[in-house]
Amino acid sequence: MVRTLVCTFAMGLAALLAQGCQRSPESGRGDEGVTRLVLKYQPLWGPPEPFRELLARFERENPGVTLVTEALPNSSDLAHQFFLTALGGGAGDFDVLIADVVWVPEFARAGWIADLSEAFPPERVRAEFLPGPVEAAVLAGRTYAVPWYLDVGVLYYRKDLVPRAPRTYAELERYAMDAKARVPGLQGFVWQGRQYEGLSCNVYEALWGHGGRALGDGGRVLLDTEAGREALAYLRGLLTRGVSPETVMAFGEEESRRVFQEGRAAFMRNWPYAWSEAQKEGSPIRGKVGMAPLPTVSGEPGFGALGGYQLAVNANVSPERRRLAAKLIAHLTSHEANLVLAVHYARNPPRKAVYDDPRLKEQAPFIASLREMAERARSRPATPYYNLISDVLQSEFSAAVAGLRTPEDALQRAQRQVDHLTGEDR
Amino acid sequence: MRPLEERGEARDGAARVVAVEPVRKRGGRGSLERERRQAYWLVAPAVLVLAGVALYPILAAMWLSLHRFILVFGEKRFVGLGNYAYLLGDARFWSALGNTAYFTAVAVSVELLLAVPLALLLQRAFPGRGLLRAAVLVPWAIPTVVSARLWAWMFNPDYGLINRLLLGADINWLGAPGYALHAAILVDVWKTTPFVALLVLAGLQGIPEDLYRAARVDGASAWRTFRSITLPLLKPALLLALLFRSLDAFRVFDAIYVLTEGGPANTTETLSIYAYKTLMRSGDFGYGSALSVATFVCVVVLAAVWLRWLGREEVAR
Repeated sequence: MVRTLVCTFAMGLAALLAQGCQRSPESGRGDEGVTRLVLKYQPLWGPPEPFRELLARFERENPGVTLVTEALPNSSDLAHQFFLTALGGGAGDFDVLIADVVWVPEFARAGWIADLSEAFPPERVRAEFLPGPVEAAVLAGRTYAVPWYLDVGVLYYRKDLVPRAPRTYAELERYAMDAKARVPGLQGFVWQGRQYEGLSCNVYEALWGHGGRALGDGGRVLLDTEAGREALAYLRGLLTRGVSPETVMAFGEEESRRVFQEGRAAFMRNWPYAWSEAQKEGSPIRGKVGMAPLPTVSGEPGFGALGGYQLAVNANVSPERRRLAAKLIAHLTSHEANLVLAVHYARNPPRKAVYDDPRLKEQAPFIASLREMAERARSRPATPYYNLISDVLQSEFSAAVAGLRTPEDALQRAQRQVDHLTGEDR
Repeated sequence: MRPLEERGEARDGAARVVAVEPVRKRGGRGSLERERRQAYWLVAPAVLVLAGVALYPILAAMWLSLHRFILVFGEKRFVGLGNYAYLLGDARFWSALGNTAYFTAVAVSVELLLAVPLALLLQRAFPGRGLLRAAVLVPWAIPTVVSARLWAWMFNPDYGLINRLLLGADINWLGAPGYALHAAILVDVWKTTPFVALLVLAGLQGIPEDLYRAARVDGASAWRTFRSITLPLLKPALLLALLFRSLDAFRVFDAIYVLTEGGPANTTETLSIYAYKTLMRSGDFGYGSALSVATFVCVVVLAAVWLRWLGREEVAR
């Protein structure tokens, strides 16, 4: 009995191995001239059919091409880690890849992704896409990636607790304190203060809101500036003045959303995904939530941090495959594809023209309403060294928010370390 | 009583070896050689596999640590001990080392202190003992990442269980610099005390019942029995637990990474987390390898110290 089992198992294993060997020649060029094109991406949340149909259309229009999708880990950190080792090691077994806004300069600098300027001239990309994503995809006058969908930091507020969306930081603070005084147990403003990438987004939004810039002329990462000090002092001040609970220092997106969702905060900074959660049936704050651009010092609409993904081509694959890959990217970033992603997956289109499409207003009014905020989305410093320095940024920002160091001190330390890391290469 | 027995066993064993020796001799020197060679062949695969999976990465990391090798820069340049020179002046390295040492010292001592009474309790015969023994092991059986996620929610200051149990206390467990590392220690203690208790329990069961009977006849108090019999005879088991746990705790990564990712302000960043971030996030393979090698050296030193102490104890016995 045992022997039969072992035999069956061994035979099964052998069959599997044999199959595995047989399958390998298929990748790359197949037997009947079929080209396998591999897309490495994070699966979109939602019904699978519309996206599958989008891919099938490409296959129909390009006979002889089989599309293969390979899933990446859902965490952006882990996906980056994958590309770091795969591309760094010269892997050529995938053609098109997704890249977070802060990875494109890094991958381009390292020579891991192909220059797409021929298929996507920079002027055309500039004309057709929103400025934020373009900033992340076009570098030094060359196109290295094409925006696929975007994400942007926005301000949520409770329409029943505050008079209107605040335009300035002072207004936000006043409304929050008023609401707190009226409603016992209410928190003022929740955001993401944990030591991770979300904190960097919050800090950069505050920096822009104080009139600062992320990058100086010549591409130097700017940290130790007047606006930087004011931004960190503002975030720290939110805690010391009681506008935000001390607990935001442990908050990521979900922790802050839960507090807001339970109706226990007047304001929240988060990404657009929190909107649909807030409007779900049974949500205690359903119908009571407003969404607005982040406030600024001056009162002009604020700049949200840009998130989301671009599509790029693996530089390790053959020129012929690169051409096909660029075609696939053109297909996936077309006006129609933007619309499919917006309607079925609630992904914000990076194409300007899509916001004027009546179908968007009709089928995804929520996304259409994000136009102003999407237009004002800004990238964290678009530098090849972003991932090299983001650790330094996170820890120094965290120290300033926790009050362990003054903003001056934290920014000086960060600037020194960042200049050291990036200076080595120049 | 026991030493006598042991001596008896040893004499017995020696006698058997003597009896075997002539038999081998009759086969000639050649067959012994052959047997020895055969033994080498039999262990060779295991040794090769070990060298491949354990030795090679260590050597590769050491070699990498002598280079300036940042993936984005795309070049690999030999810098000798440059990375180590930088490491000695790196405040973040020293703070990570401090956090790691503090975490290890506090977590392991608390675990040992808790494990002894727990093991004594588990050793007692009472109805439902089997069930309790199984239940105690549950925290240890849950994957660390899962339990850390669980604790992260329980630590949530607003709707977490912990503050509610503390009657609405307002402690910012994972967000406040003073608390976060202690919260991580608490998770580690919760998770590994059962393991230590199991080791101690095994030690307890090796203590001959006769000693306790003798102590009872002599009219020793429970405390006296514990001090003079249980504790001294438990020492080898305790030292073993100390060795295992401190080496393990020194490399702590998963629990803390899930709880805080090293924050706030790096106050929970351990050596492993710093090395991981440098290697895998920043792609700074040279300095990241230097950090891993530094961690490795620390662990080896710690192991050497413990083993020496352990060894001396064994000799003294």
